[in-house]
Amino acid sequence: MDNISEYTNIHMDAIREVGNIGTGNAATALSRLLGRVVDMDVPVAELVPIYEVADHYGSPETHVCAVLVRTEGEFSCSLIFMIDEEKADLLADLVIPMDISGMDAESRLQIRDSALSEQGNIILGAFLNALAQITGWVLPTTTPAVARDMLGSIMDLVASMFGVIGDSAMLVKTSLHIKELDEELGGTVIMIPDPGSLETLLAKLGVL
Amino acid sequence: MAQPIHVGMADLVVSKHPATLVTLGLGSCIGLVIFDQVSKTAGMVHIMLPDSRDAKNIPKPGKFADTAVPLLLEELAKLGASKAQLRAKMAGGAQMFSMPGKSDSAIFGVGSRNVEATTKMLAAAGIRLVASDTGGSKGRSVEFSTETLKFIVKTLGTGTKDL
Repeated sequence: MDNISEYTNIHMDAIREVGNIGTGNAATALSRLLGRVVDMDVPVAELVPIYEVADHYGSPETHVCAVLVRTEGEFSCSLIFMIDEEKADLLADLVIPMDISGMDAESRLQIRDSALSEQGNIILGAFLNALAQITGWVLPTTTPAVARDMLGSIMDLVASMFGVIGDSAMLVKTSLHIKELDEELGGTVIMIPDPGSLETLLAKLGVL
Repeated sequence: MAQPIHVGMADLVVSKHPATLVTLGLGSCIGLVIFDQVSKTAGMVHIMLPDSRDAKNIPKPGKFADTAVPLLLEELAKLGASKAQLRAKMAGGAQMFSMPGKSDSAIFGVGSRNVEATTKMLAAAGIRLVASDTGGSKGRSVEFSTETLKFIVKTLGTGTKDL
């Protein structure tokens, strides 16, 4: 199968289940880190034409923060954790053990980005650990990379990454919610398999 | 000002004056505009990837630099643009994420390869690239008006450029 658009419900269910277990793991890891209750939505796996990916998560000019890690080996993919920028900063501040409000903007940004890259790494690492447990694969991760930009620009890259394989993107949409805060901090995990990797995964799961 | 026409991913839009063509949130992709200021025709394409070599089918030629540029020229010619007067402006091709040692990998280097491929296609077609704002690590939104022939590039954090 060389085109994602040919996937059937059985394949999508298998992917959703991976997303489910992965997000559960990520929620637990984040909860442990923050000492707060973290809830998750039931993941949705769907096929979206790559040309519509940009509008799929919201307005293209929304400011977001995204953390990306990759795993390369038996199964290669990129994973992105994305969250609205102002929520990202609230999330970062939960683990920054000092008052940074008096610092200059550049230093604040650096400290927050560093916290976010660690949080993103924990969330995405937990997601990959679930995948490793299911498949028995060893899935080493790269160091995380952080970007603050327009939602549209991040999704532009995501669409291009899927675009190398075909014209559909398989989006696993999962959201994490942190309780005991005035504001809900919801983030999204996106898994982007490298060309050929989705077939490898589906074969391993026994549905291909 | 004309109602802006939104040029989505891999979209290719040509128009006669008056028109405003807009693409929001370019990341690694390229927003390319080619225009003829005499016949007042312009076209914009949102290029996602450098080349179509490995593509099994191409439902949207705007997706690849090597298929987008020839089609854009063809569509402009249909609208009455004269090839000798065509000029190009482009923006985009950012590297959104940087990872040590991976900047030229297939995924992280896609922006710069898009810039390279688009520049090459323009040169091969003999179209002069009169302005560009490419690379870097930040996304861009672009707008082109047939009225002013200005290509307005907005980058998050660093403001707006008129090209």
